[in-house]
Amino acid sequence: MSGAIASEHGHPTVAWPPDAQYGMATPGKIGMWIFLISDAFSFGGLLIAEGILYAGHQPWRQPGEPRLGIPFTAVLTFVLVSTSLTNVLGWAAAAAGRRRQAALLLGLTALGGVAFLVGQYQEWFGIWGPGLLHEGLVFGQSARASTFYVITGYHGLHVLIGVAYILAILIGYLRGRVTERQIELLGLYWCFVDFVWVFIFSFVYLLPSLSGA
Amino acid sequence: MSEKEILQPAMSSAGHVTAARQRAPYLVAFAVLIALTLVEIGVVRSGGVPHRAAVVALIALALAKAALIALFYMHLRYETRILKLTVLGPLVAPAVYALLLMLDAARRHAS
Repeated sequence: MSGAIASEHGHPTVAWPPDAQYGMATPGKIGMWIFLISDAFSFGGLLIAEGILYAGHQPWRQPGEPRLGIPFTAVLTFVLVSTSLTNVLGWAAAAAGRRRQAALLLGLTALGGVAFLVGQYQEWFGIWGPGLLHEGLVFGQSARASTFYVITGYHGLHVLIGVAYILAILIGYLRGRVTERQIELLGLYWCFVDFVWVFIFSFVYLLPSLSGA
Repeated sequence: MSEKEILQPAMSSAGHVTAARQRAPYLVAFAVLIALTLVEIGVVRSGGVPHRAAVVALIALALAKAALIALFYMHLRYETRILKLTVLGPLVAPAVYALLLMLDAARRHAS
């Protein structure tokens, strides 16, 4: 079946026949996946660059440079994973028609994103303690410092955009202009940010620390 | 195909939509993700794991965590096989390239 069906808000919802390969996935969802795959290439390129530089620069940690705070970053990881959970539960609540719960969970997700960004600011510049910059990890002074700031900064930019995306969807949802489909697309983006962080945590923080970096 | 079916959330079938709305799998995935993260920290901080084994373990743990996120939180588990392959192949490929480079670096460091 094809054609358009009027939605509850009067906008035409384009009908999309189930596809033999992609089932009932909408063009919007497939489009979001294509975007995420291309974005994954960006992160992949950065991590590969780090790998190449790591192989050619030993010792990786230059004299005077601080170690990365793995316990603190583990807490940030916990925060980010928690927001993936609140996000997907928010979608499930929206799909079940529990609007208040869905809005609350989306708000919590945005709050978690802000907490992650505050944590990253603390790690870089320091708020309640010295940041890496003040401790001697200065951008441009070593391959380790440059890759660290570029990779975590690029990821932080994604978190920042994600928080804005969540807030935009949340406001639209509260006004009745956003459906569960759009919340699911938001969830794909937000969980991708968590997905990428898994590799950053391993490749930027954990693996180099095995060699004393 | 009925209007109701067309307006269903975009998943491979209505049964999968119902499955995706269950909260329990998300909570279990969360618990496993946290547990795997704690194992990662343990591998790094214990100091008793041989270097090469620690590298392999950390990469395997990262891939396991990423797979959990993609399959459960990003709903790939409920999509068609073709969509899964379309997404997972390119998503994992850069990580594999990076993995090979890191393994090479670890080998050089060990030798």
